[in-house]
Amino acid sequence: MRLRWLTMMLVYGLLAGCSEPGTDAGFAGLGGTAGPDDGFEQPGPGTELVFPRDFGPHPAHRIEWWYLTANLETDTGEPLGLQWTQFRQAIESRDDESPSPEPSGWPLQAAWMAHAAVSYREQHWFGERLARGYLGQAGATAEPFQVWLDHWQLTTGESPDQWLVQVSHGQPDTEDYWAFDLELTVRGAPVAHGVDGFSAKSASGEGSMYFSLVDIEVTGQVRLGRETLPVRGKAWFDREWSSQFLKAGQQGWDWFALHLDSGDKLMAFQLREQQDHFRSGTWIPAGGEPIALAPGQLQLEPGTGAEPVPTRWRLAVPDHDIDLTLSAPPGNYTNDGLYPYWESPVTVTGSHEGVGYMELTGYSEP
Amino acid sequence: MTVFTALFSHYRRHPWQGTALALLMLLATALWTGIHHLTSQARDSLGQSERLVEVREQVQRVDGAALTVEDFVLLRRQGLCVMPWLEVLPEGQSRRVIGVDPLAALCFQGQADVASFDGQPLVGQPFLDIADAAALTAAEQQLFLILAAGEGPLPSAYRTAPFALSPDTGQLGDSFLLNLDALSVLVLLITGLLLRSVYLLSLSQRRDSFALLARLGVSGRRVRGHLLLELLCLAALTLIPGIWLGQALASVLEGGFTNVMEGLFDSRQLATGGNHWRVPALVMTVLLLAVAMVDWLMPMVARATPGNRLRPAAATLLVLVGLAGVWLANALWLLFVALALVLAGIGWLMPRGLSLLSGAGVRASAQPGWRWWWAEFGVLCRRLALPLVALQFSLAMVLAVQALVITFEDTFDRWLSQRLSADVYVQVPEGADSALAANWLTEHLPSADEGLWHHVQRGSGRFRHGQAWQDVDIFAVTPVGPLMTGWGLLEQTSQPWQTLASGAGVMVNEQLAYRLGLSVGEELELVLAEQALKLPVLGIYPDYGRPAGEVLIAGQILPADFEVTFESFSISPASVPIETITDALRALWAEPALTIRDNRAIQDLANRVFEQTFMLTRAMTVLTLALAAVALLLMGWVFLSTRLWYFRLLEVWGMTKAEIFRKLLLLALAVTLSAAALALPLGVGLTWVLVQHINPLAFGWSLPMAVYPVFWLELLALALLIGGCIALLMRRQLGRPAVRPSVTGSVTGEER
Repeated sequence: MRLRWLTMMLVYGLLAGCSEPGTDAGFAGLGGTAGPDDGFEQPGPGTELVFPRDFGPHPAHRIEWWYLTANLETDTGEPLGLQWTQFRQAIESRDDESPSPEPSGWPLQAAWMAHAAVSYREQHWFGERLARGYLGQAGATAEPFQVWLDHWQLTTGESPDQWLVQVSHGQPDTEDYWAFDLELTVRGAPVAHGVDGFSAKSASGEGSMYFSLVDIEVTGQVRLGRETLPVRGKAWFDREWSSQFLKAGQQGWDWFALHLDSGDKLMAFQLREQQDHFRSGTWIPAGGEPIALAPGQLQLEPGTGAEPVPTRWRLAVPDHDIDLTLSAPPGNYTNDGLYPYWESPVTVTGSHEGVGYMELTGYSEP
Repeated sequence: MTVFTALFSHYRRHPWQGTALALLMLLATALWTGIHHLTSQARDSLGQSERLVEVREQVQRVDGAALTVEDFVLLRRQGLCVMPWLEVLPEGQSRRVIGVDPLAALCFQGQADVASFDGQPLVGQPFLDIADAAALTAAEQQLFLILAAGEGPLPSAYRTAPFALSPDTGQLGDSFLLNLDALSVLVLLITGLLLRSVYLLSLSQRRDSFALLARLGVSGRRVRGHLLLELLCLAALTLIPGIWLGQALASVLEGGFTNVMEGLFDSRQLATGGNHWRVPALVMTVLLLAVAMVDWLMPMVARATPGNRLRPAAATLLVLVGLAGVWLANALWLLFVALALVLAGIGWLMPRGLSLLSGAGVRASAQPGWRWWWAEFGVLCRRLALPLVALQFSLAMVLAVQALVITFEDTFDRWLSQRLSADVYVQVPEGADSALAANWLTEHLPSADEGLWHHVQRGSGRFRHGQAWQDVDIFAVTPVGPLMTGWGLLEQTSQPWQTLASGAGVMVNEQLAYRLGLSVGEELELVLAEQALKLPVLGIYPDYGRPAGEVLIAGQILPADFEVTFESFSISPASVPIETITDALRALWAEPALTIRDNRAIQDLANRVFEQTFMLTRAMTVLTLALAAVALLLMGWVFLSTRLWYFRLLEVWGMTKAEIFRKLLLLALAVTLSAAALALPLGVGLTWVLVQHINPLAFGWSLPMAVYPVFWLELLALALLIGGCIALLMRRQLGRPAVRPSVTGSVTGEER
């Protein structure tokens, strides 16, 4: 019995991260070594992306997430950042063909977690929800594409490229209440990162399947307390799944997704290790094909940002004449959930101008 | 050589004294840390049990069908914060388990803690993960959906109903914690006495050094400053291992309760959770400084203290004033002050009393051997005064805690049995006609063979208090039958239940009786829905759950226009199955969804969560007694070592070693037995104050007072064991060569 609960507690660690940077398992325990006989599949460089299947869940893999970040503006032109994320963590592996466990048994084969946040005027609103899988309380399907946990949901609208995202937190008509209701119009094909979608996370081959939708137009409204704000802007959507995400010893990551005013897009991340950092990224020129960036092509250095995390960064890709300074707005953008991490909008200056999102994990006190 | 090294060289010459002082400080710190830890745990676990029995809201289906996982999902997808609560009676077992989903509980507080529900940890039995609970082969199984407070409107197919695991025990719990706090203060006092005794012993053995330093021109102030520094160093050295030991000890004691703690979460959470070390570290440092600083204030104290002859009188006066205070105190703080005075007086008188006894013994003994024995007994009592008082207080405390815990256990049990006297409880739905149900039950359950039942109606009335009228809760029962008559009454007239059933009298709860000074036989003027009644009080019943006054009456004297705010039926089915009864009630009331409570399950659960609290409390007293025993053992050993010379003289005078040992054994036994014997009345008195005096002052009701003579005998045996150990240690010492006490000994052991 206890073993089962310890497993479950471990799940929470795997889901959202144990924020002790010194452990071998790294942030979120994602560097924990998968046993050879635990039944989970691990993607590799030969694994192919298949659409629309890969928008849905991958029960044979240990972990996956659906990640939406949006850089919006209110009707008065004020910037507003927004995040919606849903994670799935398998506790027991299950191949795609085998039947789902019966809901009446309250199965604990998978746990789900959803995060949502709004960043506006130097303030940060964050909410977190948890659920066990296979009850119907939380889940995802590829066709029609939908992801949900309780009443937080991403659903497909009238056409496959029209998405709706709805989140609300707290009791309506109270000062603490906040919510968003967005319509998303997806443009362009999915961008496969790494080698045809396999994104390496270390030199020794750990990694995940990773693709993004980088050109999404957003309209809708955000409710903060009793104030309703009409918003519009652009969003970035990530899908990622794996069974062995990090290499043991990696402590966390710094991840950036940028919309440049030139129409170009850039995704870059580094995984922090004791000695060295593993970097990777994708340069997506406006109207051109995505170009995977090798570790040596990326320069990523923290600036002298304020505590608790570096809030100012220099990101350069000399091969493409990119030299950017990324700055988070003043404020604390910690997602203070079970395991805290930093998720904030950034403004881009330097060789290009623009906006984007920054995620920093595995710092001792984000 | 500096003053510090000169002072500290004492411990180089007498390492055992330094070790004894450090050991005692370490043990005292461990004790207080352990106590603090266990008290915090007891508080937490009581808090948890109270949370569990708190009334909440649950969701029910309007069509009366049983709830399923689909209902849970539907409600959650509507954005409602509901949590599943699956009660399962496993096949072949008598105890239920509860399946919970901590993931779903997260929304109950919005805090990042999956291991809790409303901020309270879901620790240990009877909780399981809901998947494990659902997997059990169940004889019975029922799913509840608990609704968080303030949640929005439910879909039309659902409605809310109260959800409670047992009656509110808030006040009983508060009372227990108050008593626990009082005992913790007493433990601190005992710890202080022990530290002071060791400190004084070490000082007295160093007076020669102090005198030498004074002759060398070192001021008394400087010596005291260095002593304080030395003490702080010692504290720094002993506090950390002491705190560690205390926590380890507490976790070992808790480890014995693994059957209670084991379950959902790792029990280490209980042993190491929280920052329980800060308070003990601070308290022990302050205590240590206070123990040392008293000496700085001694000149002032000495001036204010009466002379030798007047001291017993002053101590007696303290005790008498304290006792009067305890008797008359009308506020809690006054009661605690009075209790402190009594303890101080007794602590002061005890060694003096034993010394007087020894004087009488000397005078009464014709035989020189016995005269010597009595004189030595007097010296021992005076020199070991502080540890003896500490032992006396510890024994008294153990006795009080034992009585308190048993009393609380009995009371909880009895009270739960009283409140949950029927097996099942069915709430009358709003708008339903209870008379229909009463008629059906009268017809189908005419005797105990078919089943027992009564109808409960609650509302509000008024009673006359002097010239004023006050509101009071009315508790009406029809018929007054065997489900009620088993209640224990605090006071009663003859045949109170028969008279109550006939409507010729009322009963009142203890709170009301205490507030009005009512006793049985007195008449109470009541107004129920404008109808005036004047009825005698037939009995006073205990009611620990809440502070409100309550009047119990037979249902037939309720006026027809009495506004009933709550109605239920308590039913204990016999030959007629409960399903038959509840189906009939559903049909009669045309109400498919009834609120039905299984009282046996509730009682079982409540008892189990309280068990945990009591176990921890008992562990606390064991620790205290152990420390007092070790302290007396150490002090006795150190002190008696200084008296070896005189025991040797007995040998010179012609006594055999065996005879000397017998005298020594008798001495040690007499000293510890005296402390234990004097602890008995103190312990009984302490129990009386706790249950009979503190509770009425704090809550308006008292707990029954009980004494447990078998436990007294156990304590006396323990005291003898400690005495025996001291004597055995001395026997070893006797075998070694002894020198005549030096001048240093003149202030410790040369007294005759």
